Amino acid sequence: MKVLIIEDEKTLAYEMEVFLKKAFFICELAHTFNDGLKKLTAGLYDYILIDLGLPGGDGLELLRNAKRSNPDAAYIIITARGRLEDRVTGLDMGADDYLSKPFFLPELHSRMQAISRRKFKIEQELQSIGEFLIDLQKRFMVFQDISIELSRKEFDLVSYLFLHKNMVLTRGQLSEHIWGTFADDDYDSNYIDAHIKNIRKKLNAYAPTEWLETVRGVGYRIRKH
Amino acid sequence: MKLSSKLIFFIAGSKLALGALFVAILPLVVNRIASDFTNFSLEGQRKKVMANIGKNGVETYLAGENSYGSYTMLKDEYIAIEKAPVSLHLDTIRTTKRIVETDTLSYRVLSATFGFKGRNYLLEIGKTTASINLYNDSLQKFAVYVLVLLIAISIFSDLIFTRRLIRPLGQIIKKRLVNSKFPFIENQTRVKTTTSDFNYLDESLISLMNQINEAFAKEREFTANASHEFLTPISILQNKMENLLVDESTSHQVQQSIVEMMKTLERLKKISRSLLLISRIDNAQFIKKERVEPAKIINEIIEEISHRMEENNINMEVKLSHSFAFDNLNHDLLFQLFYNIIHNAIKFNKKNGSIVISDTLKGKDYSILIEDTGMGMTEEETRQMFNRFNKSNSSANTGYGLGLAIVKSIAIYLDLKLQVQSKLTRGTTFEIQFKKIEGNFSGMSSGAKA
Repeated sequence: MKVLIIEDEKTLAYEMEVFLKKAFFICELAHTFNDGLKKLTAGLYDYILIDLGLPGGDGLELLRNAKRSNPDAAYIIITARGRLEDRVTGLDMGADDYLSKPFFLPELHSRMQAISRRKFKIEQELQSIGEFLIDLQKRFMVFQDISIELSRKEFDLVSYLFLHKNMVLTRGQLSEHIWGTFADDDYDSNYIDAHIKNIRKKLNAYAPTEWLETVRGVGYRIRKH
Repeated sequence: MKLSSKLIFFIAGSKLALGALFVAILPLVVNRIASDFTNFSLEGQRKKVMANIGKNGVETYLAGENSYGSYTMLKDEYIAIEKAPVSLHLDTIRTTKRIVETDTLSYRVLSATFGFKGRNYLLEIGKTTASINLYNDSLQKFAVYVLVLLIAISIFSDLIFTRRLIRPLGQIIKKRLVNSKFPFIENQTRVKTTTSDFNYLDESLISLMNQINEAFAKEREFTANASHEFLTPISILQNKMENLLVDESTSHQVQQSIVEMMKTLERLKKISRSLLLISRIDNAQFIKKERVEPAKIINEIIEEISHRMEENNINMEVKLSHSFAFDNLNHDLLFQLFYNIIHNAIKFNKKNGSIVISDTLKGKDYSILIEDTGMGMTEEETRQMFNRFNKSNSSANTGYGLGLAIVKSIAIYLDLKLQVQSKLTRGTTFEIQFKKIEGNFSGMSSGAKA
């Protein structure tokens, strides 16, 4: 999968690239409006991430151009402007999603995955975690033939960790994914731990959950070999 | 006391005082004038008599007698000429008594001696004081009546004029100070007046308001720009840390440090986002054209926040008996407002405490009340609770002190009335009042317990 990152903050673009590479994406970077335009007309991409505040032109203008050359790509607008009208215009102009800076990198990845599922209608098979099977699209988890009752947020947690398997996610990353900007402001709160505890309790009734690891002082991780 | 009343009292008072003074000195003045006039007329008659004597000789009057006297019919005037000793020299006018045909009358008498053909004569011309005072009294009375009438008319016209004159001042005060609400964008039209002082006052107030507007706009712009500018560097730092965290060469110990750093960065991020949110609300960057049902929002929030209640074993009772919808609101902002209040109600509650969410309908005003059994606040803390970066609660469990500042900005922007009552160690009650019910009246009762 090819990703074009059009972002004038070079360090930021680079960090996005580093993260996405780990998830097996091939990334190309552009740092200006013209640079972006050049790359867009020359190549085909699966994902195009556009920063709105670009030197040399408006990102929304670039989006309009890009839609012509890469009509099938998935577009995510990335901006620090965070103005409501930008979001509305961006989505009206055919962007698939919108991320406000600062965002967590796993969040970017998960949004890209979500678009793929929606847009490219990639039929994912049931995937296994431990002795369980999970369907990220239809949002269920089973043990043999028994469906496991997870709350919406519990399932969100499991699927987010599963999407980034073998990678530790912090409580901050997890809570922002689940509660967005309403994530709680007092970090010593242990509500993520409470959710994990609940999940373990529900799953342990059927099979062991040693794949759901606590990384002490860091966060949680799903181990999958 | 009002300025117009003061002016009227002063003007009327000074007029009455002057009138009284005039009435007091009126008899003196009138007497003096009457006396001068009498003297003048006596002198005139003397001149006539002397002219007559000069022309026709003193015998015209004496006709061979030693003296001559003549009265008018009512004895109010007389003239007398008699021979006088050579040594007598008189030229006076005085008031004195004279006996005229058995009547003793008071006269104003001009007495003058004159020589004619080697002989000395005494001329007396008299006028009764009664005849002088006759006009005097009625004149005085008339003058007093006219004066009273004039004072009354002038006070009345002063009253009307002063009220007209002062009216723009009242309008300015009402328009600029009493009825004006920050930001002072409306009501920029001048108050109509021809009084330059009021024009000046009005202009000054408008310019003052514009200065305040400008200062606040600058402050908001700065807050927006600063918090916005923070977001990109925060973004870079955060993403760098994330990559470092999952780098294979990073040891567990370093990972733990990175997480600590990320938590700190998270604080900075939250502060910037909150400030940005406040300045966006204050700059009216949210559309408020949605029809929103507060009761629905409350339920959404409870679902969202229930994990926090479980954590502290807090019992929530929702007793909403109405489900009204209101126009011209913004769903997200109202959500944020209730979220922050309920979140605080949980955060500053006691272990095993409770929260009651209820509503009241007073006339057309609908209120939602959020009552907690938390630690409460002192009066001083209640006053300051909406200030930015205010962390009044002395407990260790604190946020950034922006939650309620956001609540206040939203309430102002959405035109909601916000009231807080708090008792230390007993709890706090927030009341959010919505203006005027518009349609969609349906009685709903829900006793959901969370």
